[in-house]
Amino acid sequence: MRLECDGLKYTYPGSEAAVIDNLCFSMTAPGFNAVFGPSGVGKTSLAKLLVSQANLPASRIFTSGLDRILYSYNQERLPGWSSTGKHLNKVCPPGKEALKKKLIDIFKLEPVLDARFSQLSMGQQNRMNLIRYLLQEFDLLILDESLANVDEALRETIILAIKAFFPEKMFLYISHNLMEVAKFCRDILVLSEPVKQKGSFMVKGRDYAHGYTLDKQAFDASMLEVMDAF
Amino acid sequence: MLFRRIYQFLIVYCLGLACLLGIKKVLTLSDYVIPGVPLILETAGRVSQGYLFDVFNTLSVTILGQVISIIMAFTVGILGRKSSWAGSFIKVMAYNIQAYPIVALAPIIFILLGDGFISRLLIASMICYFPLLLSVLGVMAAPVKDIEHFYIATGRMRWQLEVKIRAFENLSKLTTVIAGSATLAMAGTIVAEFIAANAGIGYSIRIALYQSDLAGILVALFIIGIVISIYQGMLETLGDQVKTKWFAPKGGELL
Repeated sequence: MRLECDGLKYTYPGSEAAVIDNLCFSMTAPGFNAVFGPSGVGKTSLAKLLVSQANLPASRIFTSGLDRILYSYNQERLPGWSSTGKHLNKVCPPGKEALKKKLIDIFKLEPVLDARFSQLSMGQQNRMNLIRYLLQEFDLLILDESLANVDEALRETIILAIKAFFPEKMFLYISHNLMEVAKFCRDILVLSEPVKQKGSFMVKGRDYAHGYTLDKQAFDASMLEVMDAF
Repeated sequence: MLFRRIYQFLIVYCLGLACLLGIKKVLTLSDYVIPGVPLILETAGRVSQGYLFDVFNTLSVTILGQVISIIMAFTVGILGRKSSWAGSFIKVMAYNIQAYPIVALAPIIFILLGDGFISRLLIASMICYFPLLLSVLGVMAAPVKDIEHFYIATGRMRWQLEVKIRAFENLSKLTTVIAGSATLAMAGTIVAEFIAANAGIGYSIRIALYQSDLAGILVALFIIGIVISIYQGMLETLGDQVKTKWFAPKGGELL
């Protein structure tokens, strides 16, 4: 499994400045990886490029073992004509009912399965949206702020559960939460603001899994390294 | 909603009538030019029943014409929602035809089809079809990305689902446009009847016009206004019921 960019450049039509310029990085194993950086540095643009341009002949994005890339983001909505529970049942592929049940339990969404999507809180909406993606077939799932508005404790539970349930899949987690990224991600792609002309860096996170013991010194070092790169 | 429509019409009608009576008073015009209240009431008593049946006759053509327009607008709107060659062609054609006063084509229709039911129906349909089509095209051609993304990404998107999502997200707009098109269809039918038909309230207004019977025309306008207000109110209520049923969970409140 490999996700690699070599000299990726992208400029939006009508714009003079490239939002992504000469980006090079490589992620070579399944697991929880991250893209980190301030707003406007091109994290979402990179995610959309990965989905649309991976494996195209002239692309600077190279993949192997990533045939199915899905991109989820935090503003997605479920159709409002049926309850969220019915919607999950409808999009749940055959044979994944048990996984769906477990995820609903871990994501603490059981009490709102009869509610319409618009009746959920923003955190519940994001969790509901994430569940339906996790039920699909994918090799790489990009989570663009997919756990925004979810409280910290539950976010940690969810991330650890995802890591435990999908050890063979690759995740690319886009977040603004430095502690979370440094704690749970293995490879962290740090994008800095173009004005700083620092480019991009790969930093190793702590990649903690279920039942971890926090090594405070190493964790601080990872956070400092990310901060320094950004 | 139904009552609001009716009393709004009554306010507008009374204001219009008061203006006419004001002009009559200021310019000291005779009852022959602008009838007084007693003459209007006397005429109302004489012609109301006949006019009411005429309005129902017109309304039946209007409803049928509107139904045909809605079916056609949704069919063409759904077919033309894609940014394909055919879709672009339909959009450009609809915009251009909509800019043309369709009622000006009425004489051609009467020459070709005669002054019967079909001519009235065709004009009523044509007048409300193009504004409806533009609205449906606008709704159906605009992706609801935040909802559609998942279905496209996971390969589940079908045209029926796409149409359902876009219709659901724009239900208020669609019901408003459908209710509004009732007025257009009614206007189209009345104009058609006025020009050359042999039935309906437009035909009765033409007779009243040739007799310089302004009181009769005022009574006709009153009945038309009340009936169309009730019809539009019923359409809006129906639209609201559809929204409530589709949006809210069973036994729940509409958010």
